[in-house]
Formats: sequence, C-alpha cells, structure tokens
Amino acid sequence: MSENINIKVKHLTRVEGHGNIVVNIKDGTVEKCQWQVPEAPRFFEAMVRGRDYDDIQTIVSRICGICSISHSLVATKAVEDALSIKVSEQTDDLRLLMHFSEQLQSHVLHVGYLVAPDLFSAPSVVPLVAAAPDAVLAIIKAHRVANEWSEILAGRITHPITIIPGGFSQIPTEAQLRQLQDNLKNLVDTLLAIVDVVLSVAGNLPAFERDTEYVSLAQKNNYAFYHGDIQSTDGKTMPVKNWEKVANEYVVEQSTAKWTKWNRQSYATGALARFNNNAEQISPLGKAVAEKFGLVKGCCNPYMNSVAQLAEAAHVTEKAIELIDKLLTKGLKTEKVKINPKPGRGHAAVEAPRGILFHSYEFDKDLKCTWGNMCIPTNQNHANMQLDFEKLVPEFMHLGEDGLRQTMEMLIRSYDPCISCSTHFLNVEFVR
Amino acid sequence: MRKPIIVLGLGNPLMADEGIGTKLIEKLNSACGSDARADFIDAGTGGMTVLTYIAGREKAIIIDCALMGTEPGTIKRFTPEDVQTVKKLSHLSLHDSDIIKVIELSKQLGECPKEVVFFGIEPQTIEQKMELTELIESKLEEYVSMILKEVQNP
Repeated sequence: MSENINIKVKHLTRVEGHGNIVVNIKDGTVEKCQWQVPEAPRFFEAMVRGRDYDDIQTIVSRICGICSISHSLVATKAVEDALSIKVSEQTDDLRLLMHFSEQLQSHVLHVGYLVAPDLFSAPSVVPLVAAAPDAVLAIIKAHRVANEWSEILAGRITHPITIIPGGFSQIPTEAQLRQLQDNLKNLVDTLLAIVDVVLSVAGNLPAFERDTEYVSLAQKNNYAFYHGDIQSTDGKTMPVKNWEKVANEYVVEQSTAKWTKWNRQSYATGALARFNNNAEQISPLGKAVAEKFGLVKGCCNPYMNSVAQLAEAAHVTEKAIELIDKLLTKGLKTEKVKINPKPGRGHAAVEAPRGILFHSYEFDKDLKCTWGNMCIPTNQNHANMQLDFEKLVPEFMHLGEDGLRQTMEMLIRSYDPCISCSTHFLNVEFVR
Repeated sequence: MRKPIIVLGLGNPLMADEGIGTKLIEKLNSACGSDARADFIDAGTGGMTVLTYIAGREKAIIIDCALMGTEPGTIKRFTPEDVQTVKKLSHLSLHDSDIIKVIELSKQLGECPKEVVFFGIEPQTIEQKMELTELIESKLEEYVSMILKEVQNP
C-alpha cells in the first residue's frame, strides 16, 4: 500500500525551542524522520565562572524548575569534591532524603500530568479532572505530599536554600521528620491507587522494543540515586570522575543540544535505565509495582520508562520511611559546618528524575570558579530518541498520520525530557 | 500555619527580565516579610508547585514576566478572567507550563483562592544573563509599591 505522511510538529517560542518532530513518508518509503531540538545554547557554564564556591548551587538550581534539587545536590557534591570537603553521615542521609522527595514530585507529576492524559486519550490533565476525578485527586495528593517533603528539607519546594558546601544551613526538626514519616506511610495506599489506575489503561502503552544500552549510577547494595559508579547494561563501568568519557558529547546538524554516545551509537538514561542496572536492589513495594506491569530487568520498551517511574515512586517512599527511622534513632544533631577548602577540580553525578546528571567545577586559590561543565540527562537521551524514531516509524506508519504522530509524541514524553525549562513567562491577550 | 494571602514571584533570575518575579519577592520580603497575613514566596520556575502554594488561601497574588503586547517595563494588574492565554505548550515535557492553566486546574479542584490577581511585567529582554535590564531595574520601587498596596489594602 502506498502512503504519504507528512508530520511537522514544531514548537518554537521566543527564547527556546521545545523539540520538533519531522517525518516525511512518500509512497510508503520513509524519506525523512528526525527529532530536532532547536534549543538555544545555554550559558550556565559561563555564568558560574568567577563566582565564589558557595554561590554555585544557588545559581545552578535555577537551570531547571523540576530538577532544581538534583542540580543543587550534584553541584554541591562537585564543589565538595573539588575543594576536598567531607560531609557527615547525617548530612549525607538528609541530602538523600531530600533527593528522594524530588524523585516523587517529578515522577507523579510526569505520570499523572503528562502520561495519563495520553493513556486516557485526553488532551491534558485539565479535562481529566472530569473524566477520572479520583485518579487526578490521588495524583495531586501524592504531588502535594512530595512538595511538602521537599519544603521541609530544602527550605522551599524548588530551588533549595538549605544546602551549603560541607553540610546544611538549616535542618528539619525531629517533629517535622516524624510528621513527614506519617504522611509517607499514609501515602502508600494513594500510590497504589495511582498504580492501579495506570495499570487499567497500560494496554495503551505502545508495544515497541529496541535493543538499547542503558546508563545509570549503580551500587552493590543500593538502588543508586545519589552515590555509585556509572554503569552500562553493556557491562562497562566508569568512575564518576571520568564522566566525560561516558558522555563523549558531540554536535549534530539537526539539533543545537549536544548528543552523547558511549559503547554504541546512543544510550538511554532515566528510570528505566536505573531499573535495568539496579533492579535487584529495588524495595519490596517498588518490586511489587514493577511486577504488576510485568516490568523486568532487561526491558527495552522506552514507553515502560513511565512504569519504572511508578516503581521508583513506591521505592523512594518506602526507603524514605526507613531513612527517617535511622535518622530519628540516631537523633538529629545540629552540626556546625567547619571546612578547610583547598583549590582543585571536582566531579559529581546524581540521578535526576529523568536520568544521570553530571557536573564538574574547578576553583582557584581564592576559591573562585574558573571552569564548569555540566551534562543533563535529556541531552544524553536525544540520540537514543532519534534511533527509536528510525525503528518506530516504519513499524507504526500503518496507523496513519494522526496515529503515528501521537505514538511519536508519546515516545518523547515517555523519556520525560527537560526541554525549555528555564523560562516560564506568561503570554496573554486581554479579553476585557 | 498558612497565611491567608500568598504572594508568589515566578521566573528565572538567570534569564534577565524573566527573573523579575523572583527579584520582586526579594524586595517585598525586605519591605514587609514579617506581614502577619501574607507569605512572600520565590517559586522560581516550579510550574505546577503553584497549585500547592495557592491551595486553600483567601487570595493569591502572582507576579510574573508577561508578554502582553505593551511597552517594556509596563506593569499591569489583571485577573485570570481578564485574559486568555496564547502561550503554546508543546505538551512534550513537564518543563513548560502555563500558570493560567494551573489556575484553571485549581478552580476545577475547588481549592482556588476566591481572589487571584496577576501583576504582569513586560520584559525588555529575555536572555541568559543574571541581571535585570536597566529599564526594569529603574522601576522596581514603583512595582513594589503597587504590589504592596494590593497586599495591604485588599
């Protein structure tokens, strides 16, 4: 059957592009199929140059409104690595607890507000309130608990103000942690309700697979979010200080965002990558969620990233309850931050909700930043999205133009990309 | 304890005039951060977190950089009913959001403050730079006094 399809999904704003999907099919032959990211180059690395070491996290936390905790944490870790600053076990635990809160915030937001409308064939979450009110209310409850959780640890929901090199400027009270723990225990049923709703429409997730290299942090005894080495499902590992040898960033014509590759032409990062590298360490509740959807280690259906996010939402909730037990049993101590910073270069990685995030900095003898380098997870996924498209288009073009476009948009959404996140201005017309 | 009024500053201080909302929160906090009836929050580019911040309040005042088709530096007070959004969202990413739609969602959930007031400020430039333009900087006091009137004399 000969068929012509022309898809051009373009979203350009004044400042940044959002990513374009371009497909041309003539007489059933794919002539063009591209994932283009016409995003304005970012100058955040230049912005940190000349800044004091203790200003870095404040600046970089503004790179992204959804992953601001991850940017703050990875920057602080890299600064501490550069300046040979060690932190206490309590600081490490409280930071991990804060980091978990962002995973929950972001994952429920992504599954609830971006993926669920696809699965329910709704244009956005707003009409979903009428169509599936219980599901939306459950998602909002989970998001709100996660918001409050971040606020207790980070000082506000986004753009943390409590993290400083060497420790914290302010820590929560034990009463706040106890309240948070109660809230998390009460949240479990809500999370499971969300899981059941998504499970009821999971048949609408496209059946698409492509053998893929998955890259994430990994640790022997932990499902790694905050510490560990860089691990590939192809069997290679790399210490974090050598992250540039993993990313191997390069420039392509179709995108102003840099692409990356390690052992193959592309790799994927994100919840599914973490699951594929750390599945044995996921908490019992996380495992139970994965099993409900038939998610098993080695899965290479990119649409299952959203399912891995649900499993992780359960995991971080369960692990946070345990971590609060540990902190309360030991008793919270007010620790005065005493540091003796030495100039140098440092590197760090954390798992942002949408994948592995790298930062590196160098400081001179006055502890001013002389160099910075960052690599965000979404840039690490662009090449993989392109290769997914190249396999997906011939397999799904029988759906016709609308069906194919929808399937391709769902694919991009499943990666939970961070594009166009640094500006949120209003754009309005007056009607009265 | 949640105060009945919330003043939210949105925007990104790394993007020149786009950061006007967060800059004004800094100024408002210095001017009257101890106000018993109002919280002043720098919500940055948190997007959907606005839903959490405004829930159950009596009044929300939202300050944001706004493309309104007016002269750069213009400040306009308006309500959600006064405008229609023309912002094009990709719906590809969580990272673009439209506060007008967030207010709509809040209303549908039955938790939106009775009164929602926007102060939109027309930018001169949005680009990667940590300073406001001179034009916007020179008008900060004017903006602060206008917003304070809204907070203090409802």
